[in-house]
Amino acid sequence: MSCHLVLTVLARQGLCSSRLQFGVLYRHAVPMGTTAKEEMDKFWTKNTRLNRPVSPHISIYEWSVPMMLSISHRGTGVALSSGISAFALAALVLPESYPYYLDLIHSMSFGPQFLAFSKFALAFPVAYHTFNGIRHLLWDLGKGFKIPEVYRSGYIVIALTVLTSVGLAAM
Amino acid sequence: MKRFISSHRSRAALVHPGDSSHLGLVVRIMAALVRISSVCCRGVSPLLFRSCSLIRPLAVQKKDRDCPYLISAKIHATPSSYAGSGSKAASLHWTGERILSIVLLGLAPVAYFYPVPAVDYSLAAALTLHGHWGLGQVVTDYVHGDFKIKMANAGLFLLSTVTFAGLCYFNYHDVGICKAVALLWSK
Repeated sequence: MSCHLVLTVLARQGLCSSRLQFGVLYRHAVPMGTTAKEEMDKFWTKNTRLNRPVSPHISIYEWSVPMMLSISHRGTGVALSSGISAFALAALVLPESYPYYLDLIHSMSFGPQFLAFSKFALAFPVAYHTFNGIRHLLWDLGKGFKIPEVYRSGYIVIALTVLTSVGLAAM
Repeated sequence: MKRFISSHRSRAALVHPGDSSHLGLVVRIMAALVRISSVCCRGVSPLLFRSCSLIRPLAVQKKDRDCPYLISAKIHATPSSYAGSGSKAASLHWTGERILSIVLLGLAPVAYFYPVPAVDYSLAAALTLHGHWGLGQVVTDYVHGDFKIKMANAGLFLLSTVTFAGLCYFNYHDVGICKAVALLWSK
Protein backbone atom coordinates (compact mmCIF):
# COMPACT_ATOMS: atom_id res chain seq x y z
CA MET A 1 0.00 0.00 0.00
CA SER A 2 2.64 2.48 1.09
CA CYS A 3 4.72 1.28 -1.86
CA HIS A 4 2.05 2.47 -4.22
CA LEU A 5 1.81 5.87 -2.49
CA VAL A 6 5.54 6.38 -2.74
CA LEU A 7 5.49 5.56 -6.41
CA THR A 8 2.61 7.93 -7.01
CA VAL A 9 4.53 10.70 -5.24
CA LEU A 10 7.64 9.98 -7.24
CA ALA A 11 5.69 9.82 -10.48
CA ARG A 12 4.25 13.25 -9.76
CA GLN A 13 7.76 14.59 -9.20
CA GLY A 14 8.42 13.53 -12.78
CA LEU A 15 10.88 10.81 -11.98
CA CYS A 16 10.71 9.30 -15.42
CA SER A 17 14.05 10.62 -16.61
CA SER A 18 16.87 8.17 -15.97
CA ARG A 19 19.22 10.79 -14.54
CA LEU A 20 16.76 11.64 -11.80
CA GLN A 21 16.22 7.97 -11.09
CA PHE A 22 19.94 7.57 -10.52
CA GLY A 23 19.70 10.57 -8.23
CA VAL A 24 17.00 8.82 -6.22
CA LEU A 25 19.20 5.76 -5.81
CA TYR A 26 22.11 7.71 -4.37
CA ARG A 27 20.39 10.34 -2.33
CA HIS A 28 21.47 8.75 0.94
CA ALA A 29 24.77 6.92 0.63
CA VAL A 30 27.25 5.85 3.25
CA PRO A 31 30.90 4.92 2.72
CA MET A 32 31.79 1.35 3.66
CA GLY A 33 34.86 1.04 5.79
CA THR A 34 34.49 -2.12 7.82
CA THR A 35 36.90 -5.00 7.89
CA ALA A 36 35.93 -8.62 7.38
CA LYS A 37 36.51 -9.26 11.08
CA GLU A 38 34.18 -6.43 12.09
CA GLU A 39 31.50 -7.68 9.72
CA MET A 40 31.79 -11.22 11.09
CA ASP A 41 31.64 -9.97 14.70
CA LYS A 42 28.49 -8.00 13.89
CA PHE A 43 27.02 -11.08 12.22
CA TRP A 44 27.63 -13.32 15.21
CA THR A 45 26.49 -10.88 17.91
CA LYS A 46 23.27 -10.20 16.03
CA ASN A 47 22.47 -13.82 15.30
CA THR A 48 23.31 -15.16 18.76
CA ARG A 49 21.21 -12.38 20.28
CA LEU A 50 18.30 -13.40 18.08
CA ASN A 51 18.96 -17.00 19.18
CA ARG A 52 18.98 -18.32 15.65
CA PRO A 53 20.10 -21.88 14.91
CA VAL A 54 23.29 -22.24 12.89
CA SER A 55 23.11 -23.09 9.24
CA PRO A 56 22.81 -25.81 8.04
CA HIS A 57 20.50 -26.89 10.84
CA ILE A 58 22.03 -30.25 11.69
CA SER A 59 18.88 -32.06 12.78
CA ILE A 60 16.37 -30.52 10.40
CA TYR A 61 18.42 -30.07 7.23
CA GLU A 62 18.79 -33.23 5.16
CA TRP A 63 22.34 -34.60 5.34
CA SER A 64 24.10 -35.25 2.06
CA VAL A 65 27.20 -37.32 1.24
CA PRO A 66 29.38 -34.23 0.58
CA MET A 67 28.30 -32.77 3.93
CA MET A 68 29.26 -35.97 5.72
CA LEU A 69 32.59 -36.15 3.93
CA SER A 70 33.30 -32.56 4.84
CA ILE A 71 32.65 -32.93 8.56
CA SER A 72 34.58 -36.21 8.53
CA HIS A 73 37.54 -34.36 7.09
CA ARG A 74 37.38 -31.97 10.00
CA GLY A 75 36.74 -34.81 12.48
CA THR A 76 39.68 -36.91 11.31
CA GLY A 77 41.87 -33.81 11.31
CA VAL A 78 41.02 -32.96 14.91
CA ALA A 79 41.38 -36.61 15.98
CA LEU A 80 44.77 -37.02 14.31
CA SER A 81 46.03 -33.73 15.73
CA SER A 82 44.91 -34.76 19.20
CA GLY A 83 46.61 -38.12 18.74
CA ILE A 84 49.88 -36.49 17.74
CA SER A 85 49.70 -34.06 20.64
CA ALA A 86 48.95 -36.90 23.06
CA PHE A 87 51.92 -38.84 21.68
CA ALA A 88 54.21 -35.82 22.04
CA LEU A 89 53.01 -35.19 25.59
CA ALA A 90 53.57 -38.85 26.48
CA ALA A 91 57.09 -38.65 25.03
CA LEU A 92 57.83 -35.72 27.36
CA VAL A 93 56.20 -37.18 30.45
CA LEU A 94 56.73 -40.95 30.42
CA PRO A 95 60.02 -42.16 31.92
CA GLU A 96 60.80 -45.13 29.65
CA SER A 97 61.62 -45.30 25.94
CA TYR A 98 59.31 -46.06 23.04
CA PRO A 99 60.57 -49.63 22.41
CA TYR A 100 59.96 -50.41 26.09
CA TYR A 101 56.30 -49.46 25.90
CA LEU A 102 55.91 -51.20 22.55
CA ASP A 103 57.27 -54.44 24.05
CA LEU A 104 54.90 -53.93 26.99
CA ILE A 105 51.94 -53.85 24.62
CA HIS A 106 53.26 -56.86 22.66
CA SER A 107 53.69 -58.84 25.88
CA MET A 108 50.01 -58.37 26.63
CA SER A 109 49.45 -60.88 23.77
CA PHE A 110 46.42 -59.48 22.06
CA GLY A 111 45.14 -61.70 19.25
CA PRO A 112 46.29 -61.10 15.66
CA GLN A 113 42.81 -59.89 14.75
CA PHE A 114 43.04 -57.20 17.40
CA LEU A 115 46.43 -56.08 16.11
CA ALA A 116 45.14 -56.01 12.52
CA PHE A 117 42.07 -54.11 13.62
CA SER A 118 44.08 -51.51 15.52
CA LYS A 119 46.34 -51.02 12.50
CA PHE A 120 43.21 -50.50 10.40
CA ALA A 121 41.84 -48.07 13.01
CA LEU A 122 45.06 -46.03 12.88
CA ALA A 123 45.43 -46.14 9.11
CA PHE A 124 41.81 -45.27 8.32
CA PRO A 125 41.71 -41.64 9.53
CA VAL A 126 45.16 -40.95 8.08
CA ALA A 127 44.17 -42.36 4.69
CA TYR A 128 40.80 -40.62 4.65
CA HIS A 129 42.20 -37.24 5.66
CA THR A 130 44.99 -37.58 3.07
CA PHE A 131 42.73 -38.51 0.16
CA ASN A 132 40.04 -35.99 1.01
CA GLY A 133 42.83 -33.46 1.51
CA ILE A 134 43.92 -34.04 -2.10
CA ARG A 135 40.28 -33.57 -3.13
CA HIS A 136 40.33 -30.22 -1.29
CA LEU A 137 43.53 -29.17 -3.02
CA LEU A 138 41.95 -29.94 -6.40
CA TRP A 139 39.04 -27.68 -5.44
CA ASP A 140 41.56 -24.99 -4.54
CA LEU A 141 42.85 -25.26 -8.09
CA GLY A 142 39.30 -24.67 -9.25
CA LYS A 143 38.63 -28.20 -10.42
CA GLY A 144 35.66 -30.48 -9.81
CA PHE A 145 33.00 -28.09 -8.54
CA LYS A 146 30.09 -29.45 -10.57
CA ILE A 147 27.74 -31.39 -8.35
CA PRO A 148 28.17 -34.78 -10.12
CA GLU A 149 31.94 -34.27 -9.93
CA VAL A 150 31.71 -33.51 -6.20
CA TYR A 151 29.88 -36.78 -5.61
CA ARG A 152 32.16 -38.76 -7.91
CA SER A 153 35.36 -37.52 -6.26
CA GLY A 154 33.77 -38.17 -2.87
CA TYR A 155 33.05 -41.81 -3.69
CA ILE A 156 36.57 -42.22 -5.07
CA VAL A 157 37.97 -40.88 -1.77
CA ILE A 158 35.86 -43.37 0.21
CA ALA A 159 36.94 -46.28 -2.01
CA LEU A 160 40.63 -45.35 -1.87
CA THR A 161 40.45 -44.91 1.91
CA VAL A 162 38.98 -48.36 2.49
CA LEU A 163 41.41 -50.04 0.09
CA THR A 164 44.44 -48.28 1.52
CA SER A 165 43.45 -48.94 5.14
CA VAL A 166 42.87 -52.63 4.45
CA GLY A 167 46.16 -52.79 2.56
CA LEU A 168 48.08 -51.08 5.34
CA ALA A 169 46.44 -53.22 8.05
CA ALA A 170 47.56 -56.33 6.17
CA MET A 171 51.20 -55.20 6.15
CA MET B 1 13.92 -10.34 -10.09
CA LYS B 2 11.04 -11.91 -12.03
CA ARG B 3 9.50 -13.08 -8.77
CA PHE B 4 8.92 -9.74 -7.18
CA ILE B 5 8.03 -7.93 -10.39
CA SER B 6 4.96 -10.12 -10.63
CA SER B 7 4.20 -9.88 -6.92
CA HIS B 8 4.34 -6.11 -7.04
CA ARG B 9 2.25 -5.98 -10.14
CA SER B 10 -0.36 -8.03 -8.34
CA ARG B 11 -0.04 -5.80 -5.25
CA ALA B 12 -0.70 -2.70 -7.35
CA ALA B 13 -3.59 -4.51 -9.01
CA LEU B 14 -5.14 -5.24 -5.60
CA VAL B 15 -4.85 -1.62 -4.48
CA HIS B 16 -6.60 -0.01 -7.44
CA PRO B 17 -8.58 -2.57 -9.33
CA GLY B 18 -10.87 -0.06 -10.94
CA ASP B 19 -8.52 2.70 -12.08
CA SER B 20 -6.80 1.17 -15.10
CA SER B 21 -4.99 4.24 -16.50
CA HIS B 22 -3.49 5.22 -13.16
CA LEU B 23 -2.57 1.60 -12.55
CA GLY B 24 -0.91 1.39 -15.93
CA LEU B 25 1.36 4.36 -15.15
CA VAL B 26 2.25 3.00 -11.74
CA VAL B 27 3.09 -0.40 -13.17
CA ARG B 28 5.25 1.14 -15.88
CA ILE B 29 7.19 3.22 -13.36
CA MET B 30 7.62 0.25 -11.05
CA ALA B 31 8.85 -1.90 -13.91
CA ALA B 32 11.29 0.80 -15.00
CA LEU B 33 12.68 1.25 -11.50
CA VAL B 34 13.03 -2.46 -11.00
CA ARG B 35 14.92 -2.69 -14.27
CA ILE B 36 17.19 0.17 -13.18
CA SER B 37 17.81 -1.38 -9.79
CA SER B 38 18.53 -4.75 -11.36
CA VAL B 39 21.20 -3.05 -13.48
CA CYS B 40 22.58 -1.43 -10.35
CA CYS B 41 22.65 -4.73 -8.51
CA ARG B 42 24.82 -6.10 -11.28
CA GLY B 43 27.05 -3.06 -10.82
CA VAL B 44 27.38 -2.77 -14.56
CA SER B 45 27.97 0.82 -15.44
CA PRO B 46 30.85 2.99 -14.29
CA LEU B 47 28.33 5.83 -14.28
CA LEU B 48 27.11 4.62 -10.94
CA PHE B 49 30.53 4.50 -9.33
CA ARG B 50 31.86 7.89 -10.16
CA SER B 51 34.53 8.26 -7.52
CA CYS B 52 36.93 5.84 -5.92
CA SER B 53 35.23 6.09 -2.55
CA LEU B 54 32.72 3.39 -3.25
CA ILE B 55 29.37 4.15 -1.75
CA ARG B 56 26.66 1.82 -0.67
CA PRO B 57 23.27 3.21 -1.65
CA LEU B 58 20.72 2.78 1.11
CA ALA B 59 16.97 2.60 0.80
CA VAL B 60 15.82 6.09 -0.05
CA GLN B 61 13.03 6.98 2.34
CA LYS B 62 11.66 5.61 5.57
CA LYS B 63 8.34 5.03 3.80
CA ASP B 64 9.84 2.30 1.73
CA ARG B 65 10.63 0.09 4.68
CA ASP B 66 8.24 -2.40 3.09
CA CYS B 67 10.00 -2.66 -0.24
CA PRO B 68 13.47 -1.11 -0.13
CA TYR B 69 14.68 -3.28 -2.98
CA LEU B 70 12.35 -1.60 -5.35
CA ILE B 71 13.86 1.86 -5.19
CA SER B 72 17.46 1.25 -4.29
CA ALA B 73 20.15 -1.27 -4.87
CA LYS B 74 22.24 -2.49 -1.97
CA ILE B 75 25.73 -3.13 -3.15
CA HIS B 76 28.20 -4.53 -0.66
CA ALA B 77 31.67 -3.78 -1.88
CA THR B 78 34.79 -2.05 -0.72
CA PRO B 79 37.62 -1.35 -3.14
CA SER B 80 40.99 -2.40 -1.81
CA SER B 81 42.16 1.22 -2.14
CA TYR B 82 39.62 2.21 0.52
CA ALA B 83 40.99 -0.31 3.01
CA GLY B 84 44.03 1.82 3.80
CA SER B 85 47.26 -0.12 3.48
CA GLY B 86 45.33 -3.35 2.74
CA SER B 87 47.00 -6.28 4.43
CA LYS B 88 47.58 -9.44 2.41
CA ALA B 89 48.11 -11.47 5.58
CA ALA B 90 44.95 -13.54 5.30
CA SER B 91 45.54 -14.33 1.65
CA LEU B 92 49.16 -15.28 2.26
CA HIS B 93 48.12 -17.47 5.19
CA TRP B 94 45.72 -19.33 2.92
CA THR B 95 48.43 -19.92 0.34
CA GLY B 96 50.85 -21.01 3.06
CA GLU B 97 48.37 -23.57 4.30
CA ARG B 98 48.06 -25.10 0.82
CA ILE B 99 51.82 -25.17 0.24
CA LEU B 100 52.37 -26.83 3.62
CA SER B 101 49.74 -29.46 2.78
CA ILE B 102 51.57 -30.31 -0.43
CA VAL B 103 54.92 -30.44 1.41
CA LEU B 104 53.43 -32.83 3.96
CA LEU B 105 52.01 -34.96 1.16
CA GLY B 106 55.47 -35.19 -0.37
CA LEU B 107 57.13 -36.03 2.95
CA ALA B 108 55.15 -39.25 3.37
CA PRO B 109 56.86 -41.32 0.62
CA VAL B 110 60.21 -39.72 1.51
CA ALA B 111 59.74 -40.86 5.12
CA TYR B 112 59.03 -44.38 3.90
CA PHE B 113 62.09 -44.66 1.66
CA TYR B 114 64.55 -42.46 3.58
CA PRO B 115 63.86 -42.69 7.34
CA VAL B 116 66.66 -40.32 8.38
CA PRO B 117 66.76 -37.69 11.20
CA ALA B 118 66.37 -34.80 8.75
CA VAL B 119 63.06 -36.29 7.65
CA ASP B 120 62.08 -36.94 11.28
CA TYR B 121 62.47 -33.26 12.19
CA SER B 122 60.84 -32.06 8.98
CA LEU B 123 57.91 -34.33 9.69
CA ALA B 124 57.69 -33.02 13.26
CA ALA B 125 57.61 -29.42 12.02
CA ALA B 126 55.21 -30.00 9.12
CA LEU B 127 52.78 -32.12 11.14
CA THR B 128 52.70 -29.67 14.03
CA LEU B 129 52.23 -26.60 11.85
CA HIS B 130 49.60 -28.27 9.65
CA GLY B 131 47.71 -29.32 12.78
CA HIS B 132 48.13 -25.86 14.34
CA TRP B 133 46.73 -24.08 11.29
CA GLY B 134 43.95 -26.65 10.89
CA LEU B 135 42.82 -26.31 14.51
CA GLY B 136 43.09 -22.54 14.08
CA GLN B 137 40.43 -22.73 11.36
CA VAL B 138 38.23 -24.81 13.67
CA VAL B 139 38.58 -22.13 16.37
CA THR B 140 37.72 -19.40 13.86
CA ASP B 141 34.60 -21.27 12.79
CA TYR B 142 33.19 -22.17 16.19
CA VAL B 143 34.53 -19.69 18.75
CA HIS B 144 33.01 -16.20 18.85
CA GLY B 145 33.59 -13.15 20.98
CA ASP B 146 36.90 -11.31 21.33
CA PHE B 147 37.94 -12.72 24.71
CA LYS B 148 37.00 -16.33 23.92
CA ILE B 149 38.83 -16.16 20.59
CA LYS B 150 41.96 -14.85 22.30
CA MET B 151 41.81 -17.56 24.96
CA ALA B 152 41.21 -20.35 22.45
CA ASN B 153 44.08 -19.22 20.27
CA ALA B 154 46.39 -18.91 23.27
CA GLY B 155 45.50 -22.44 24.37
CA LEU B 156 46.06 -23.71 20.84
CA PHE B 157 49.43 -22.01 20.65
CA LEU B 158 50.45 -23.64 23.93
CA LEU B 159 49.28 -27.05 22.70
CA SER B 160 51.18 -26.72 19.42
CA THR B 161 54.34 -25.59 21.19
CA VAL B 162 54.22 -28.56 23.57
CA THR B 163 53.50 -30.89 20.63
CA PHE B 164 56.49 -29.66 18.66
CA ALA B 165 58.72 -29.81 21.74
CA GLY B 166 57.58 -33.36 22.48
CA LEU B 167 58.14 -34.55 18.92
CA CYS B 168 61.62 -33.00 18.79
CA TYR B 169 62.43 -34.56 22.16
CA PHE B 170 61.25 -37.90 20.81
CA ASN B 171 63.35 -37.49 17.67
CA TYR B 172 66.44 -36.59 19.71
CA HIS B 173 66.26 -38.91 22.73
CA ASP B 174 64.24 -41.78 21.33
CA VAL B 175 63.95 -43.72 18.08
CA GLY B 176 62.44 -40.94 15.98
CA ILE B 177 59.09 -40.69 14.14
CA CYS B 178 59.94 -42.80 11.05
CA LYS B 179 61.43 -45.65 13.10
CA ALA B 180 58.52 -45.47 15.56
CA VAL B 181 55.97 -46.05 12.81
CA ALA B 182 58.08 -48.86 11.36
CA LEU B 183 58.36 -50.55 14.76
CA LEU B 184 54.65 -50.15 15.44
CA TRP B 185 53.82 -51.82 12.15
CA SER B 186 56.38 -54.59 12.46
CA LYS B 187 54.34 -56.66 14.89
